[in-house]
Amino acid sequence: MQSTEKPVVISAVQLCKAYQMEDTEVEVLKNIDLTVHEGQFVAIYGPSGAGKTTLLNMISGIDKPTAGKIVVYDKSLAEQNEDVLAEYRCNQVGFVFQSYNLVSTLTVAENIAFPMEWKRATSQEIQKRVAELIETLGLKHRANHFPAQLSGGEQQRVAFARALANNPPLLLADEPTGNLDTKNGERIIQILQTLKAEGKTIIVSTHDADIMPLADLKFFLEDGNLATAQ
Amino acid sequence: MSETAFPINDLLRRKLSTGLTVISLTTCVASTLFLLLFSGQIGLGIASTQLNTLTRGLSMVFGQFLLFVGVLIFAVGAVIVSFIVYLMMAQRTKDFGLMKATGCPNSLVFGYFMTELLGTTLVGCILGTLVGLGTDYLVISMPIFDAYSKAPNLWFAPLVFATFFAFALIFGAKPVLEAARMSPIKALSPLQYFGLGKGAAFKPLSRTGLTLRVASRSLFRRKAATLRIVVFLSVAFLLLTVSIAGGIIANDTSTFWLQKGMGTNIVLVAQNDMATQYTQLLRSFSGATYNAAFNYSDLKLALSPAILQELGQINGVTTVDARLVWKGTVQEVSGWRIDPGTLATINVGADRSTNSLVVGLNPDTLVTTPLTDGTFLNSTSDYYAVVGDSISRTIYAPFYARGAYGNELHEADPLLENARILGRTFKIVGVCIDPINNGNVTYVSLQTLENITGISNPNIALIKVEASADINAILNQMQTHLKTFSPDLTAVSLNGAFEENTHFLSSLWGVVMFLPAFALAAAALCLVSYLMLTIDEQHQEFAILRATGAKPRTVVGILAAQSVTVLLSGFAVGISLGTIITLLILTKIPVVSTFTILAISAWLLAALLSMFLISLYPAVKFARKPLLKIMS
Repeated sequence: MQSTEKPVVISAVQLCKAYQMEDTEVEVLKNIDLTVHEGQFVAIYGPSGAGKTTLLNMISGIDKPTAGKIVVYDKSLAEQNEDVLAEYRCNQVGFVFQSYNLVSTLTVAENIAFPMEWKRATSQEIQKRVAELIETLGLKHRANHFPAQLSGGEQQRVAFARALANNPPLLLADEPTGNLDTKNGERIIQILQTLKAEGKTIIVSTHDADIMPLADLKFFLEDGNLATAQ
Repeated sequence: MSETAFPINDLLRRKLSTGLTVISLTTCVASTLFLLLFSGQIGLGIASTQLNTLTRGLSMVFGQFLLFVGVLIFAVGAVIVSFIVYLMMAQRTKDFGLMKATGCPNSLVFGYFMTELLGTTLVGCILGTLVGLGTDYLVISMPIFDAYSKAPNLWFAPLVFATFFAFALIFGAKPVLEAARMSPIKALSPLQYFGLGKGAAFKPLSRTGLTLRVASRSLFRRKAATLRIVVFLSVAFLLLTVSIAGGIIANDTSTFWLQKGMGTNIVLVAQNDMATQYTQLLRSFSGATYNAAFNYSDLKLALSPAILQELGQINGVTTVDARLVWKGTVQEVSGWRIDPGTLATINVGADRSTNSLVVGLNPDTLVTTPLTDGTFLNSTSDYYAVVGDSISRTIYAPFYARGAYGNELHEADPLLENARILGRTFKIVGVCIDPINNGNVTYVSLQTLENITGISNPNIALIKVEASADINAILNQMQTHLKTFSPDLTAVSLNGAFEENTHFLSSLWGVVMFLPAFALAAAALCLVSYLMLTIDEQHQEFAILRATGAKPRTVVGILAAQSVTVLLSGFAVGISLGTIITLLILTKIPVVSTFTILAISAWLLAALLSMFLISLYPAVKFARKPLLKIMS
């Protein structure tokens, strides 16, 4: 387990999220308390519909809680405006979506590069970083292909590369191996292992038992309630 | 799942997309129908209420202008309708693939989506027709259009409905048919919709112009959709250019014609009754009435040479143009021409006749020379005549007559024919645009008219006063001189009649110019609908950009850059074609001053700017949406 001496990166207190579905209110997250320290690898598992994606959306600033507080890197996310949240997503978080979410009209290299554009990186910096990520993730032969021309495993690796483009200290991955075969799944686990070794804070929502050994903290999420797991 | 349940459910569940498509179709059908009805009513209004105004040549200018604008309005509508349904059905390509992949037979897939297409277009076209009719009723009921509120030509409603419905079905069925023929794997691939190939070698985007490059790339890779919106905007701007430039140039040109025919700083000297009659004849252009039974041969109307000589000596008077105004029958005398192919002689014209004002003048002392096709009279033109455009378009117009093959069109051309007045034949050398007596005028030489009518003196004098001179002082001076000859003689400035006529002409163009305003509003509405549809289609990509750190204003910037690119492309094509059409087809011998060019440029730039600002609305609205809402 990581040293708890390290600074707190994420702190969620009594975090609640409810959605209004026509006449009924669906409570997705119920009074969640979560503390994550720098460099920790956190695995959240639980059945489908338990609220894992919603929790990751809260941490990434994509969604806002209906009650409670979430502070990431000393920023209370619920109180920030869209511009501040955009900068936060650009510089401090990398998000690997469950369904990859690649831009269909951009090539692999362009998909990896564009988050760096928001940061106004120079052409040289972008070119260097994209080449580095493409090489590391084994996508060199696919650099100029469009997402529709890639396999699921390749798309997932592009999604990882894009999430890492700005070298964020926090990486969120939503079911990163969920849609992949064993071979591609192993490749992703290797990537996660490398990133952990680099000292990144990583939160993964998963069903994959093979990811669990990497985790410093494991949480079980069911019906919106978060419990520490062994 | 029944054959009708699926399409209905599918449409109802895609509330935003279906709603936008129906709204776009409704807007487009309604605006086209309204503009056609409205322009028809204005045209009819001008033709019927102004039957005793303008001249036939000028009425033709209005008629041609409105006809052309009507055709363009129809074209704009057809392009946008076909585009909207194409966009809607192209978005369904992936669904076709999914259904086929799950074993749904081709015929059923085709049936489902054709039902969707049929339902959407039917609802859109019906709503559009109703809204169009309602809008026309409301607008034409406004007090400003009282004079033009003729009954609408309701045939436009089924015409627009049927044509647009057919267009929508044809263009909407195209992607459905293509998808039905496609293998499921191909239909499922986004490559199919985006038409992507292998990308170019990676080159990072530059720091500057990032937004523009992302936008242009998106446009370039959606070639089909981009091309369609550019075509739509080109036709819309073509319509605007023809309406604005054509309207302004035609207004300036027709005012110039009026000025040529009436002149400025002209004083009319005549006996009181004759002065009133002549002024009313000039003002008949703007609807004034005159005494139809006036006796022009009355000897008491004569102006003696002594009066004319004395008037010519007043300081500030440059020319005294003595004229004899008379009314009589002008008869067509047919002419002939040689067919260049067969060298045979062809008869031109017939022997029709009409009542015309006949004006005898001295070509050496003219104070006004109306715009003339051919030549105006010169000093040697003893038995030559120039006819007004209304005479030319009545007794010298091509006509139908029974021939060996039934009713045949016979040619007529005043410049190849003659006119007979009081038994004398005059060679027609020109056709002029002159407001007097609504263009029902024939000019001959003063000496000849005096000879054939037996009237020995002119009955009016048009006196040109120097522009720098004080016209009121000169009028007073003239009145004093005239009273020494006869208390019945008077001098009146014709500036008032000229201003009244130009004001009338401008007000008519002002009414016609409502059309570009409505056309602009319709085009803007269609553009907003289009942008909303494309934003809806691209929303997932924008969501990804936002999720990876792009700020809302970056998304607005990308959408604005896309909008500017298509707007400017459409603007360039539309303006170029519009200018050519305006100058070469609509307004012959146009009057284009620097001010005209500045006015047209300002109007068109204002139109472009308003279209751009309006196009930002859906972009800003979209950017304000919470990210999660866009992603879900």
